[in-house]
Amino acid sequence: MKNQSFNIKFLSLALSALVLTFSCSDDDSTPSEEEEEQQEDTRWITVAAARMGTNPGDGNGGTLIYALSKEDAQNPNVSIAPFDNGFIVPSNRTARLQASEDGSTIFNISYAGDTGGNYSKYLANGGQNFTPTGSEISIAPYVGTAPRWIKLFDGDKTGCAVYVDTEHQIDDNGTPDDATDDTYLRTEAKVGIVLLDLVNSKILNFKELSVPLSAEEEAKGYYFGRVDMPTLNAAGDKLYIGGWLRKVNPTTIESDSGYEILAAKSIVVDYPTLFNPEVITSSVGTGNTNGYRSINSFEYNGAVYQATQSDPNGSHILKIGADNTYDDSYVFSLDAALGVTGAYALAWRPAANGKAVLAYRHDGSQDGISGRPESYFALIDLNAKTATKLEGIPYEIDMEMFQYQSYAVDGNNIYLTAAPVGKNGNIYVVDTETGNVTKGAELVNVDGSHFIGAW
Amino acid sequence: MAKLLLFLVTISFSLSVYAQNSSLSGYVLFDNNKPALGATIVIQNAHLKKETSAGINGEFLFKNLPLGTYSLIVSSLNAKTQTQQIKILSNKKTVNVILEVTNYQSLSEVLVKTETEKRKTETKGFSVNLIETKEASLRNIQTNELLNTTVGVKLRQNGGLGSQVQYSLNGLSGNSVRIFIDGIPISMYGSSFNLNSIPPSMIENIEIYKGVVPGHLADDALGGVINIILKKGAKSNLNASVSYGSFNTFQSSVNGLHRFDKTGFTVKASGFYNASDNDYKVWGGQVKHIEADGSQVPITARRFNDAYRSVGGMFQVGYTNVKWADQFFIGITGSDDYKEVQHGAFMTIHPYKGRFLESDALLTNLSYQKKDLFVKGLDINTNGLIGERNRIVNDTTAYAYTWLGVRQQRPVDFSNPDGETMDLENAWGSQQEGGPTLLNINRKVASIRSGITYEINKNHKVLLNHIYSGVDREDHDEMISLLENTFKQTSNLHKNIYSLSYELTTFNNKLKFNVFGKHYRQKVERIKPQFNDDNTQVVNDIYTSNKHYNGYGFASSYSFTTNFTLLASAERAIRLPNETEVFGDAGDNTVENTSIKPEISNNINVGFRFGKFNFNKHEFLVTTNLFSRKIQDLIGLPPNAGDRWENDELVQYNNFNEETTSKGIELQLNYTYNKNLGFNFNLSKLSLEFKNQYGNVTDVPNTPLFTINGALRYSIKNFIQNKASLNLFYNTYFTDEFSYIIVYGNTRDDGRNLVPTQFINDLGLSYTFPKENVVLSFDAKNIFNEAAYDNRSVQKPGRAFYIKLNYTINKF
Repeated sequence: MKNQSFNIKFLSLALSALVLTFSCSDDDSTPSEEEEEQQEDTRWITVAAARMGTNPGDGNGGTLIYALSKEDAQNPNVSIAPFDNGFIVPSNRTARLQASEDGSTIFNISYAGDTGGNYSKYLANGGQNFTPTGSEISIAPYVGTAPRWIKLFDGDKTGCAVYVDTEHQIDDNGTPDDATDDTYLRTEAKVGIVLLDLVNSKILNFKELSVPLSAEEEAKGYYFGRVDMPTLNAAGDKLYIGGWLRKVNPTTIESDSGYEILAAKSIVVDYPTLFNPEVITSSVGTGNTNGYRSINSFEYNGAVYQATQSDPNGSHILKIGADNTYDDSYVFSLDAALGVTGAYALAWRPAANGKAVLAYRHDGSQDGISGRPESYFALIDLNAKTATKLEGIPYEIDMEMFQYQSYAVDGNNIYLTAAPVGKNGNIYVVDTETGNVTKGAELVNVDGSHFIGAW
Repeated sequence: MAKLLLFLVTISFSLSVYAQNSSLSGYVLFDNNKPALGATIVIQNAHLKKETSAGINGEFLFKNLPLGTYSLIVSSLNAKTQTQQIKILSNKKTVNVILEVTNYQSLSEVLVKTETEKRKTETKGFSVNLIETKEASLRNIQTNELLNTTVGVKLRQNGGLGSQVQYSLNGLSGNSVRIFIDGIPISMYGSSFNLNSIPPSMIENIEIYKGVVPGHLADDALGGVINIILKKGAKSNLNASVSYGSFNTFQSSVNGLHRFDKTGFTVKASGFYNASDNDYKVWGGQVKHIEADGSQVPITARRFNDAYRSVGGMFQVGYTNVKWADQFFIGITGSDDYKEVQHGAFMTIHPYKGRFLESDALLTNLSYQKKDLFVKGLDINTNGLIGERNRIVNDTTAYAYTWLGVRQQRPVDFSNPDGETMDLENAWGSQQEGGPTLLNINRKVASIRSGITYEINKNHKVLLNHIYSGVDREDHDEMISLLENTFKQTSNLHKNIYSLSYELTTFNNKLKFNVFGKHYRQKVERIKPQFNDDNTQVVNDIYTSNKHYNGYGFASSYSFTTNFTLLASAERAIRLPNETEVFGDAGDNTVENTSIKPEISNNINVGFRFGKFNFNKHEFLVTTNLFSRKIQDLIGLPPNAGDRWENDELVQYNNFNEETTSKGIELQLNYTYNKNLGFNFNLSKLSLEFKNQYGNVTDVPNTPLFTINGALRYSIKNFIQNKASLNLFYNTYFTDEFSYIIVYGNTRDDGRNLVPTQFINDLGLSYTFPKENVVLSFDAKNIFNEAAYDNRSVQKPGRAFYIKLNYTINKF
C-alpha cells in the first residue's frame, strides 16, 4: 500500500517534470531523453522534519526527509507534507544529516539505537524516494554509537567523526585505602578522530590523541568534555576541532556547574595524518566552539570562521587564520552587530561570497511552546562584520531553531526552512548578495513538530 | 442441583437463623489450609441422620439438632474420610475439621479444586488473575513464560533465560508494576532470586492484580502488582525435578517439607539450580560479521555471551497447625547468580563479550499466621525479612567483537587496508559505552508486611495492613579512584504504607464490597560525603525528605445468578517519587526538588464473569474486563532539558500537567469437555496515549497493543499402562505487529521500525507413570522456528526442545 502510493507520487512527479520539459523544450530532442536529463540536472533540495516525541519541539518522534526540485522549492504554490509522506531516516534520535554539495546524495550516521554509528548513503530521487547506495560501515567502536560527525568540504570525499574519552587522574599519596590525603592531578582527555571515505564507505584513518590544557587550567579541574565540528583549513593540511570545556571540583571530583567560562579553544591536528595535536585559544571569544546540530565552522577565503556558544558576552564569529591560530585582530561580536544582548548562534552557513545566513536568539527572546526562546534569521557578512535581521520571514514566539541543522547553498542563494513548532511554514530563499528573501514552497506541519533544515 | 443446594446452604448460613434445639456449625479445611468446598458432612446417631456439604469457605451448618451424642463423618473426593464423636450439650456448638489430602488426586479433581480457589479470588470484584502453577511445574515452563501468557500481562525480555525482564500490566510498565514474593517487594531479594530463577514448583500460585490493588498488598503501584505466593501447606512431601534441553539449558529443583505430627514441628527446604548457555541462533538486522576492511557480511550467528547460572534455596523451621500458630517459620534465603550480557537495549552490530553481572543475597525471614487468634474471626499474619544483597557489574574488556564471536580486526595502518591487521579496541575501553566498570552495589534491605483481619460476622470484615520496606545502598567502583568513590552520593529509602479495608458481603452473598484507604509515608535520605574543615576526615551530610500521601479505592461484585457476576473496581493509585526525582543526580546534572508530588493514576475496571456453565459434559466460562488507566502529574524533566544540558545548566524533575492513558479490553474463555479436553483462550487489546502539557495527544510507540494466547490440553487415561496418564498440550501466542516509532500517513521507512506480527506455537506432552510419583514431560517450543521479538531487533530463542523428570513422594 505504501509502495503503491509512493509510486503514484513518483509517477506524478515524473509526469510534472515531463510537462515542464515539454513546455520549455527545444523542438528536436526526444522528450524521454530530455526527461532523463532533467532528472539528472535537478538540484534537489531535501527538507528535514522532526516529529514530536512526547513534547513540542523535542524531535524525538523520528526524522523525516523529503526532496523537491529547486524550482518547486522556490515556488510558494507548492506544498509539501513530509510528516505525511516523507522518508523516515533510520535513526533512533534526531539524525545528523549531511548532503553532497550538489544535493544529490544524503549522508547519514545513525545516532544511537540499533544502527547507532552506522554510516549509510541515500540518493535523492524526489519526494520520499531515497535509494540506499553503497555499503554500510560502522564507526561505533572508534567514536561511539552516537557519533558527532560532519563532512569536510573537500568535494564530498571525506567525513570526520570525533569523540572524547576522559579519565580523572588522582595521586593517592601512597595510601590506596585513605581518601583524605588523595589529590586530584588532572583529567586526561583523549580525542578519537575517524576519517571516513564517503565515496567508498571505508575508514581512511583513525587516531587517539591526548589533548592537555595548561597546567593552571587543569589544576582547576577543566578538561575537554566534548569535541565536535572538525573543519579542514584552506591549505588542506590541518583540521580544527571545536571543543567544550567542562570542569570538576578538584576536591571531590564531582562535576561542577556554574563555573567560570574560559576563553574559546580549538584543537588543531595535522591532516590527514592526525598527528601533533595543539590547543589554540582565542582572546576574543569565550565559551564553546563545538556547536550543536549544525556545522559550526566554515572555511572562507583562506581562513576558517567559527561561531561560539555559551559566550557570556554573546556569540562571536572567530577567525582562525592561515597560520592555524586565532586571529585576534578579527573581532565580530554578534551582540554588537545585531544590536542585541546575549546573542546565541544556533546555526549558520556562508555562501561562497562570504555572506552567510545565521539563526540566532538573544536574551530578549521569549520562550515558546517548546520551552525554548524564539529564534530569528540574520544575514551576516564575514568581511564587513555586519549582521542584519532578515525581514520577510514571519517570526513568532513558537519558531525556534535550536535543533536546526542545515542550509542548502546553491550559488549565492541559501535555502532555509522556517516554521513555528506545530504550525505550517515555508522554505525561504535568501539571495545573499542582495539580502532579498523570497517565500518558497509551503511546509505542512503537524502538532508539536518542527522543520530542521534544508540540504 | 448440587450447586443450587450449596448456594441455599450458604444463604441460610449467612442469615444465621437461630435453632430452637441446637445447631452445629464449623469449617472443613484441607491440611493445606484450603477450604474443602463440597465436602460431604454427615451427622448421625441412632435417631437421626442429616447430611450437608461444605460451602465456598468450607463452612457448614446443621440446625434443629436435639442435644445428644453424634458421629460426624466428613468425606471428600480429595481427602481421607474423617469420623469423630461429638457431644452437643449447649444450644450452639462449633467444630472445625481438618482433612488430610490424599496422595492420589486425579487431574479432574485438581481442576475442581483450583477452579473454586480461583473463583473465590476472582469474584471479589478486583481485576485479578490467579495463575496455578501445578501443571507448569511438571512441564518445561518458566515462571516468566507462565506470566506472559496471562491476559493483560506482557513481558519484554532482553535475551535468553536470566536476561533482564520488564513487566507491563494493561499497558503500564516499569515503575508502575510492583512484584512481590509473599507480599514482600521482590527487589528486596535482589536479582538472584527473581522470576527468572524461582521454579514454578516452589510457587503455590501467582496473583496478578491489575490497576486496583487490595489493601493487603498495598504499595505505590500505579499499574498493579504481581504477587508470587510460595508453597505453603503442612503436609510432609518431597518433590524433585530435573530438566535438560536446547542451548545446554539445565534446570533442577527440589522442595521438601516434613512435619512431625505430634508436635507440629515442621522443616521446609527448597533449592534450585539453573544454567543455560542461551546460545540460540539469531539472524537479520544488525547480525553481521565485520571484516578488517570494515565491510559487513550478514550471518546467522549463535549468541556467545548470554550464559546464565543461578543457584538458590530456602530453609525454614517452625510449627504448623499448632494451637498458637497455623504457620510459624523462621529461616534463611540465599541465592547467587551470574549472567553474561550479550548486548545493550538493542542488538547492534557490535555484540558484547566479557560484560557480566553477578548478584547474591542472604536474607533471614520470619513468618507467622494464625486464624481465630484470641477470639473467633481475628486473624493475624506477618511476613518479614532482613538481610543484604550485592550486585557486581563487570565490564573491563576493551576489545570489539563481531557476531561471529571473534575480535573485530582493523588494519594496523589504514592507508594500507590490505596489510597487517590488529584487534580493534573500543574507544571507551569497555563493552558498553561508559567506560570500564567493576561496580559493587551493596544494599542492606529490610521489609515486613503485617495484617490483622477481624471478621465481625459473615457479613462484615475489617482488615488493617502495614508494610515497611527500607533500602540502604552503597556503591563502590573499583575502576575509578577512591576519591571519586568516596564522594559519590548515596540514598537510603524508607517506605511505610498503611491500609485499612472494609469488606461487606450481603444480599445472600450476592453483593461483595471492599473499600480501602491507603496511607503512604516515604523517607528519603541523601548522603553527601564532604571533607571536614581541615580536610582530615570525610563526613556525611545527610538531607532528609519526608512525605506522606493518601490513596483510596474500592472493589465490588454482584452475582445476578450463580453464573453471572458483574465486577467493578476503581482506585486512585499513587507512585511515590524515587530518590533521583527527589534529590537529583549530580552525574546527570539534575538537582533536588523536595516539593515534588507523586504521580497519580485513576484506574477503573469493569468486567463480567459468565459461568461456569455445564451442559452434559461441557463446561464453559467467559470473563471479560474493560479497563481504563489515567496517570496524571507525570514526573519528568522539562521539555527544554536537553537544551539546558547543552549549556551545562542544571535541571530539575518536576510534575507536569501531562497524562498517560491506557484503555482496553480483556477477554478470557475456558472450555472443558468431559474433564479431559481443555481449551483456554485469551485476548487483550488496548490503546496507549500520551497527552503533553500543551494538550497534544500522541500514541505511545513500541508497545504491543493486541495479543492472543491459546492453549489446548488433552488427557488420555490409562495410556500404555493401566493407571498411567498422558497429557498433550498445544500453546499458541499471537502478538500483533507494532511500530518502534509511530508511522503516520504514507511515510516510507527502511522497514526496520516495524516489529512484525508474531505467531509462536509450542507443543508439549507429559506422562504420569502408574505409581504417580514420576512424571516425564517433553516440550517443543517455537516449533516453526519463527523469529520472535519482544522489542525491536532483540530476537528471542527459536525452536527448542526440553525434557523434564519430576519425582514426588507424599509419604515418608
